[in-house]
Amino acid sequence: MNFAEPWWLLAAAAFALGVGLLLRFFLRREAAEALLYSDLAFMRGAIGSARVPWRILGAALVAGAFALGASLARPHVALRLPAKDGYAMLCVDTSGSMASQDVSPSRSAASKAAARAFAKAVPAGTRVGIIAFSTNAELVQPLTADAQAVSDAIERIPDPNGATAIGDALALAAQQLPNRGRRVVVLITDGENNRGVDPLEVAKFLGAHHVPVYTIGIGTNDSGTLIPGTSEEAGLDEDALRSIADSSGGAYAKAADAVALRDALGRLGRTTVMELRPVDASLATACAGGVLVLGAVLAALGAGRFP
Amino acid sequence: MREALRAALLRGRNRPRNLGAGSPTIFRGDGLEFAELREYVAGDDPRRIDWAATARAGALQTRVVLEDVALTLAGILDDSGSMRVGRKRPLGEAAHQALAGWFQIAASDDRCVRVTGDGLVAPPGMRGERSALVCANAPSRTPTNVPEALALASAVLPRGTALLVISDFLDCTDAHRALLTALGTRLDCTALVAQDPWEADLPLRGFVTMRDAETGRTERFFFSPRARRRFQRAARERAAATMHRFHAAGWRCEGLDEADGARALSRAFGLR
Repeated sequence: MNFAEPWWLLAAAAFALGVGLLLRFFLRREAAEALLYSDLAFMRGAIGSARVPWRILGAALVAGAFALGASLARPHVALRLPAKDGYAMLCVDTSGSMASQDVSPSRSAASKAAARAFAKAVPAGTRVGIIAFSTNAELVQPLTADAQAVSDAIERIPDPNGATAIGDALALAAQQLPNRGRRVVVLITDGENNRGVDPLEVAKFLGAHHVPVYTIGIGTNDSGTLIPGTSEEAGLDEDALRSIADSSGGAYAKAADAVALRDALGRLGRTTVMELRPVDASLATACAGGVLVLGAVLAALGAGRFP
Repeated sequence: MREALRAALLRGRNRPRNLGAGSPTIFRGDGLEFAELREYVAGDDPRRIDWAATARAGALQTRVVLEDVALTLAGILDDSGSMRVGRKRPLGEAAHQALAGWFQIAASDDRCVRVTGDGLVAPPGMRGERSALVCANAPSRTPTNVPEALALASAVLPRGTALLVISDFLDCTDAHRALLTALGTRLDCTALVAQDPWEADLPLRGFVTMRDAETGRTERFFFSPRARRRFQRAARERAAATMHRFHAAGWRCEGLDEADGARALSRAFGLR
């Protein structure tokens, strides 16, 4: 929490101290004038009144007074809010290995479902683009804030076929993303790059420009499932994906099934395009202080009257 | 007053009394002064049966004789914080007054014993007024815990001792019923129950801060007419329950008057 005019805090502290001292004076005077009775527990039980937490009420009053004073210092709190200029580029692998069915119904279908979950989870106003890549990288949907356009674009993602050019996809993403704003690249792939530029180099470049690459490794390594139409076993190059994420400041997550993939993308959608923004909390602080003071006063007035 | 109380104690100790369980018993002495002849009741000493009178009456007759041994007067005074309450003066002062009146009963051969928070005060070799003076003014560094003092009295006081206990009995509950009954059976017990004057009359309105006399803790109460009624009803019920507990255990029992402790003692013995 920061204060735009912190010297008001001193005034607030002095005000709260004054309220506290005044309260103490009245309570002490009242205690000095207290009537002596032999058994207060019996009296409380007979009258049927609950014990009033006077110390807590007093503390609430002092805290409320301080909060009211502190609101003049114009406090600002850093809140994690959806970025006003958030950009997310979703790179979906459509290489032949994505036709493998070690993830039900197939890696490709699961990644489309996950892409939908991501598009649904991102805060409104975030611009989302989609790149499909196999032997080449293709821009399926340029960055847009139109959720419907993104949804339609996901349907246009081609069926799995060809090699895997992760580096090319990342490079295309780098071209599409603007120079400023909260920018992220989400890469859904099985990670076995075999075409185009070195993805690690592009990831380093993106990292240097504050664009983290979140990689989602889809599939399993030891399932023994073959890539349809080939005698090649479907695999997952986790080390490569972890390196890409690490070198760009992103994170790697593995999704061995469709549900895990959808959850991971949904989580990324909610968190990656958020940013810490300072928010003026003067009104909220004043309201909280007012509620505390009013609550303490009302509780003190009503204490004992009601069981 | 002193003679009247002493006579009442002597009379009381030689009269069979109905105790809680309904079993009659008597305190008998080894004196020779004949008091009365009455029908035998279970528990009477067979040596006291007057066979000639039995033959005349056709039913067992017991000779009741007045004890001519000296009295043993014992006193327990609750000096805890709760006895400091009072509107005109602390209840403790009235209690001291009553205790002083109690020990003034002691005649030349009578023994006095005081049970305090520190233990037993029984001046060795002293009898009569000197013994009474020491007991009435015995200091107590530790506040008297009444149930503990009663247990001590039950353990050490000789049978037939006249015991006066002055307290508010806040910590004497139904759990102590057996102890009270045991004392009431063995000793000639009198209780003066100190009642907080606020319980008799509570002219308080609105918010009032009260301080617990025992703990010193303060608490704020709101006294509405309804709260006052509830409090006074609960106080009456508690006082009645305390009185009943002592009567059922075979004790004399009377409320301690804030204004005059000695008068409460007289009332307990049915004297005006």
